[in-house]
Amino acid sequence: MSRLNSFRELEHLRQQLTKQRQSIATTVMVCGGTGCQASRSQEVVRAVRDELSRQGLNDQVRVCVTGCHGFCEQGPVMLIEPGNIFYCHVSADDAFEIVYQTVMNGEVVERLLYQNPVSGKTCRTQAEIPFYRAQERRILSQNRMVDACSIEDYIAVGGYSALTEVLRGMSPEEVVNEIRSAGLRGRGGGGFPTGRKWTECREAPGDEKYVICNADEGDPGAYMDRCVLEGNPHLVLEGMMIGAWAVGAQKGYVYVRNEYPLAVKHSDIAVQQARELGLLGENILGSCFSFDVEIARGGGAFVCGESTALMASLEGKVGEPRPKDVHTAVDGLYHKPTTLNNVETWANVPSIVLNGSSWFASKGSNGSKGTKILALTGRIKNTGLVEVAMGTPISEVVFDIGGGAVDGSPVKAVQIGGPSGGCLPVDKFDLPIDFDVLSEAGSMVGSGGMVVMDEESCMVDVAKYFLSFLQDESCGKCVPCRLGIDRMLEIITDITEGRGRPEQLDLLEELANTVSQTAMCGLGKTAPNPVVSTLRHFRWEYEAHIKEKRCPAGVCKALITYWIDPDKCTGCGVCLQACAHQAITGAKKEPHVIDVQRCQKCGICRSECRFDAIQVV
Amino acid sequence: MPQYVELSIDGATVRAIKGTTVLDTALEYGICIPHLCHVSYLSDIGACRLCIVEHVVNGRSNVTTSCTLNVQDGMVILTNTDRIRRLRHNLAELLVAQAPNSRAIQDIALRCGVTEVRYPFRNEDCVLCGRCVRVCAEVWKARAKGFVGRGKDRRVDYPFGVRPDFCKQCGSCIELCPMTITPCDGPMKPGEERLCGQCESQLIIADQTPGSCVWCKLGEGFGCARYAA
Repeated sequence: MSRLNSFRELEHLRQQLTKQRQSIATTVMVCGGTGCQASRSQEVVRAVRDELSRQGLNDQVRVCVTGCHGFCEQGPVMLIEPGNIFYCHVSADDAFEIVYQTVMNGEVVERLLYQNPVSGKTCRTQAEIPFYRAQERRILSQNRMVDACSIEDYIAVGGYSALTEVLRGMSPEEVVNEIRSAGLRGRGGGGFPTGRKWTECREAPGDEKYVICNADEGDPGAYMDRCVLEGNPHLVLEGMMIGAWAVGAQKGYVYVRNEYPLAVKHSDIAVQQARELGLLGENILGSCFSFDVEIARGGGAFVCGESTALMASLEGKVGEPRPKDVHTAVDGLYHKPTTLNNVETWANVPSIVLNGSSWFASKGSNGSKGTKILALTGRIKNTGLVEVAMGTPISEVVFDIGGGAVDGSPVKAVQIGGPSGGCLPVDKFDLPIDFDVLSEAGSMVGSGGMVVMDEESCMVDVAKYFLSFLQDESCGKCVPCRLGIDRMLEIITDITEGRGRPEQLDLLEELANTVSQTAMCGLGKTAPNPVVSTLRHFRWEYEAHIKEKRCPAGVCKALITYWIDPDKCTGCGVCLQACAHQAITGAKKEPHVIDVQRCQKCGICRSECRFDAIQVV
Repeated sequence: MPQYVELSIDGATVRAIKGTTVLDTALEYGICIPHLCHVSYLSDIGACRLCIVEHVVNGRSNVTTSCTLNVQDGMVILTNTDRIRRLRHNLAELLVAQAPNSRAIQDIALRCGVTEVRYPFRNEDCVLCGRCVRVCAEVWKARAKGFVGRGKDRRVDYPFGVRPDFCKQCGSCIELCPMTITPCDGPMKPGEERLCGQCESQLIIADQTPGSCVWCKLGEGFGCARYAA
């Protein structure tokens, strides 16, 4: 394709592409996100393509490998237009049936449809599925229309029209004001008002300015940035271009984790395609605006998701934060004014420009506007990516969309916001997903990871897990973060191993308070959140560990013993054979006994027992 | 001609040269803010966090390190509030529990009011203040040592663990190391896990006139601005 030199040429290309698309009768959209690729969606694509060429339908049917559809639990998923038919758990063997029945004869393959586990009814389209029905998919819904590696797809669905609008008739001030009045707040964790950041950067002295897209997502269990960047990289690029125009930057960077190979590949391709079309480079679309983007790959340090550490890493230095007494909007990359936003924040920008700030602000709560993508994981039925309006209660996300805990056991808590966030108990589930409300409750929206926990999770152990994660990922530069986290972990390890003393709880609280107030960067300041929130909402569990030397959830190995109920044990010998440590003895048809000295508390016997005779006490 | 700004530190209006830090200004005016990683002629990294102060902006106070905070006109700084003293106490306690054998760190801890340590002692030799790394890189331009590793594995080491020939063994790093400065009179012996209390006399002075410079031995060894002047 040749370079586009004016807005009209872009519009012309869009019309051409739309006309081309109209002539295609059927489109088969297969999810190519990392989740579905792991469940072999690539094989499905290959099989469907083979089958189509065998039937001679290559010209009439388009197979489109799209970004993540969100319902990763049901992967690989497939959408067929027209009809908007939604198939889940598709395998390569189903290709013939799909092509023969649905594509050629317009019939639905019943067994591939999603079945509502509550009512038992099958759902033909996404709109009928409770998981999708309760969502407000503003960003994610664009994923399913677009092949991530094709700029034509993105232009055909109206891509880069926000950029045209901005370059054609909006001054940078107008763009900044639009973002300001939309009330967009940073989606990466802190929730800093994006408009204020842009204003600050715009007003900062200096001609050389930068914009950065932070795609160094590292929270355990969170993957929304990955899916947006993998599925629709042009949306992020367009947002960055508009941001660059608004703040006056000429150069942008996408800092993406190298552990996200697909995101790296897709954003690389996107940048190249945009350059070929003249959407990046000198005099974009014939205007006076010049801007280019480079993809920088992150080496995998969690701390590099922090803005100053990320910039240090981009500069080629060790990825360590530096004091932020002056905002990075004024003194950022190479000490130049820099606007750094999260992937999701950038992805929100084009639609705000196109539809106006009031459209964006129509969804959301008082302080937090728009929608938020959440990664629903843990002990929950419908794992996947969920996009809801800000202000939606947690209970709606966990129970209506997520479908509650696996195997129907009661949900105990949800951990929101990754290692920097906190755990909220089930009686706080009426709280809305809102930056201010959640941080008041001791958690935070953070990047949007939601890990659901049921009664089998020990909250002290959860705090310990996050602390050890943070201990590994702390850069170690400042004392409160390096030594503070280390000491907190030491105390919590004492508690989980039965050496806890009651006064340690106060020390833990004080230390957490010290770390959160004195640490240098955002990582350190929020590091004690898992401890603070579990102490606040689950103090009785800590006390049970310390005073009664008992782990209520039966997780902490030092405080539990396995015991065989002689009334239930039939002496079948399964556990005896399964035990790797020869800790179980007993004659055939006689109740078995566990030797406590030898038992390593691995729990294999318990999972093997068919009579539920082995219990944790 | 240097430009001057006026700011308020603990209620006193002071004049400072634009571009200097709050810590330097405070020390110059005899307002002693405890510090460890700061050396007057080296760049500041804000690693030890002992020099934290409250920076009041629009009625809200932020806790930040004074060594990295540049003076601005009309700034309001509080160096010795209850909150700051508490936080400093906790930080000093963490440091002294890590390296209880250093006289310098014991002095700082006592100066911050630590008389009892609530964590098990660790007896490590380095608190990663980075003085040696910076003096090597900034004064001698040698960069013969640097930080290696991340988090709890972070340590100071030569490149690839081998002393390079451009290290002339000048000893500047040793001179600045808080472990070697004015060796401790009563070092903690294994099993004898308590602070020795030799320096408690200083604590009494610091208690009686909080926030004022006590011309501590520590300052002398650390090249405190008062001694340099």
